[in-house]
Amino acid sequence: MHHDDATTTGQIQLPTPTVWPIVLALGVALLVTALVTSVYIGALGLVLILMGSVGWFRQVLPHEAHEPVPVETEEIRVETARRLLKAAPISDERRKILPIESFRISSGIKGGLAGGFAMTVPAGIFSVVKYHSFWYAVNLMAAGGFVSWAGASNQFLGEFHLRGLLAATAIHGMISILVGLLYVAMLHMFPKYPILSAGFVVPLIFTGLMHTAIGVVSPILNQRIEWFWFVASQIFFGLVCGFVVNLHDKVRTPQFQALPFAVRAGFEMGPGTGAPTDDAAGKKNEEENQA
Amino acid sequence: MATQTTAVVDRTVHAPRGRVFDVVKEWLTTVDHKKIGLMYIGYALIFLLIAGVEALMMRIQLAVPNNHFVSPQTFNQLFTMHGTTMVFFAGMPILFGFGNYLVPLMIGARDMAFPRLNAFSFWISAFGGFLLYYSYFGGSGMYGAGSAPDVGWFAYAPLTARVFSPGHSTDYWTLSILVSGVGSIGTALNIVATILCMRCPGMKMNRLPLLAWLYLVTSGLVFVTISPLTAAQIMLMLDRYLGAHFFDTQAGGSAVLWMHFFWIFGHPEVYILVLPAFGFASEIIPVFSRKAIFGYPAMVAATVGIGFISLTVWAHHMFTVGLGAPGNAFFTFSTMVISVPTGIKVFNWLATLWGGKIHFEVPMLFSLGFLFQFVVAGLTGIMLSVSPFDWQLGSSYFVVAHFHYVLVGAIVFMIFAAFYYWYPKMTGRMLDKKLGQWHFWLFLIGFHVTFDLMHIPGLLGMPRRIYTYEADRGWAGLNMAVSIGGAIQGIATLIFVYNLVHSYFKGKEAGADPWDAWTLEWSTASPPPAYNFAETPTVESRRPLWDLKHPNDPDSKYEG
Repeated sequence: MHHDDATTTGQIQLPTPTVWPIVLALGVALLVTALVTSVYIGALGLVLILMGSVGWFRQVLPHEAHEPVPVETEEIRVETARRLLKAAPISDERRKILPIESFRISSGIKGGLAGGFAMTVPAGIFSVVKYHSFWYAVNLMAAGGFVSWAGASNQFLGEFHLRGLLAATAIHGMISILVGLLYVAMLHMFPKYPILSAGFVVPLIFTGLMHTAIGVVSPILNQRIEWFWFVASQIFFGLVCGFVVNLHDKVRTPQFQALPFAVRAGFEMGPGTGAPTDDAAGKKNEEENQA
Repeated sequence: MATQTTAVVDRTVHAPRGRVFDVVKEWLTTVDHKKIGLMYIGYALIFLLIAGVEALMMRIQLAVPNNHFVSPQTFNQLFTMHGTTMVFFAGMPILFGFGNYLVPLMIGARDMAFPRLNAFSFWISAFGGFLLYYSYFGGSGMYGAGSAPDVGWFAYAPLTARVFSPGHSTDYWTLSILVSGVGSIGTALNIVATILCMRCPGMKMNRLPLLAWLYLVTSGLVFVTISPLTAAQIMLMLDRYLGAHFFDTQAGGSAVLWMHFFWIFGHPEVYILVLPAFGFASEIIPVFSRKAIFGYPAMVAATVGIGFISLTVWAHHMFTVGLGAPGNAFFTFSTMVISVPTGIKVFNWLATLWGGKIHFEVPMLFSLGFLFQFVVAGLTGIMLSVSPFDWQLGSSYFVVAHFHYVLVGAIVFMIFAAFYYWYPKMTGRMLDKKLGQWHFWLFLIGFHVTFDLMHIPGLLGMPRRIYTYEADRGWAGLNMAVSIGGAIQGIATLIFVYNLVHSYFKGKEAGADPWDAWTLEWSTASPPPAYNFAETPTVESRRPLWDLKHPNDPDSKYEG
């Protein structure tokens, strides 16, 4: 394809129109159609394919056939009829909710694993006290993944099953890590009462969610779950996970770089740094804007 | 204050209009991507109307219980031809037509990478369509049985075996799809080569218009999915003609094998159709919101993500086969996962609208309809992705309603939007706005009457592909309403066709850039000259015309 500049040459080279593509296409279609019509149609298709192929080759070999197309250019305006408005000023206060510090993802994974491990303590106590076997809780968790275990007896669930251990470890580990990552995303947004939010609020919300969904997620768990022990395990998870996540140093987000130097250097407190901000002034600005 | 800048715009020296023969010869021998694109679109519109008439005939048949408007055999042919035509000879060609026309213009190229292959691809696809409809005359074959294909658009085995499908009707179906598949692969190859190799200076991949990105991913999907379909068609021909037993269950073959082959094509095919529609939305919504698209990199990533994930979901069409727990779990999961990148796109379109100065021109009306309906279609899709739910409603009218919500509510709406948006570029004339508004509102009402209500007989147990039903099932009123909705859509489509023809001769002059848009196709004349651009353009941002119109505040200042 030639890409010469028409403003200097007055013409552009474009591929020459050709009949051979349609001839070849018709030939192929007729050859195929012969399977359901007649051998004569196929013979015609074959002839057209040969003609089309030879003609096409002669079009492109040794050089692609091109023809000059004359060009006439004129200068016209590319313009917009619309006015470009100046962007309305936005108060800095509107962006204060963007965090300037956050936890690392790795601290969420560690917190989730620690919480998940700690959670096995109350779950294990429940299992041993009530069913005299540590494996009951493990197998109950695993049963959600095995359709054939839906009607399993208490005795079966109290026995050791390698499949059950592997499935329960995978399910429990995955959920624990995901919740740990949730803590990483969430905890710095509620910095004032970490024990309350991590240890109690989130576990209770999660319990409510599970209470609604467990009939669909794991019918066997739904039949046998002891909600008191479940809530206790959740709170244990939340306290340990929240504690481990909070142990780790926070990292600064790109929003930190946008702060004035005095704020970054620690000489002044700015929005989003945990210092009290002038909410009243912000509200006033909004009201003025609305007015 | 209006910002004004000058640029070179081209005007071809047109030859004087010749005789009819010259005009016909010019179109038959053309290798110009724009003419080929228009031929794709024209040919697809004809098949769209044919398949629409077939749909209306089915709806007349189902409007009342115990109806005998057509025979059961004809009804089977109607739903087979309707599905096959809409997917292979209306949907794909119309989208390839827009791609052919727009992609080179949007990336600043003079033509497609392989102009002759482009012409060949179009013609062989067109002959495939003619071959399918020739079955009405030639399908009886040597046994004197059969006519048009009647095995459904997915042609499940063993229904396609010679013993159940004598004559040549199924062969016509197989061969026509085989032939048109060659054209699809040729066009996909051309689009990929054009986008990768023929971009104008400055058009880096991260400045590529989203429409071009979506066509790139669509073409990749065509490569991957047409191949198994073609292989399956050849295997079916071997079964039928040479006594092979690939799908013959009584001789050790597998009917489920056909289902896998078909659906590993069939489900990505939905994305082959819907991704270009996403591309139209990604071009139209920003222009009529007067804002740049929100989250360009996320939109590209979501497109590529959809492309990959769409290859892993095919067996959700086969839940009722009995895949076993691992299969059900995997395909439920993968089907749900695809809603994540799709959701990203929806949120980004909404974020583009948010705070924008929205202009309710006809293309935007159709785009807004698309946005709402696509979300609803996605929600019923998530419902059907849950295998136990699918066991209850698979092969019911609920499924028919769901996929028509995608195919009509999303894809057809965006195709109409694309017509209203790019018709001025293609013809130099504006489509009539008043007629367009009539078209939109009638089609919207007809669509919702038809496909909202169609979910309910499905929930009440009405199976799909049913010829007629007894009066005591409780489906009669709903089916009548669904049929009336179909008729309203038919009237709306006729208004659209009238608008196309009327505006071509009497429409308002469009000028080069009637929408005050930002991509390169609007920098050249309407219709563009044969060579597209007299000077190869150079771009410095994703919105080159914005930069020209606002030299004091170009996008290139902000894009990384």
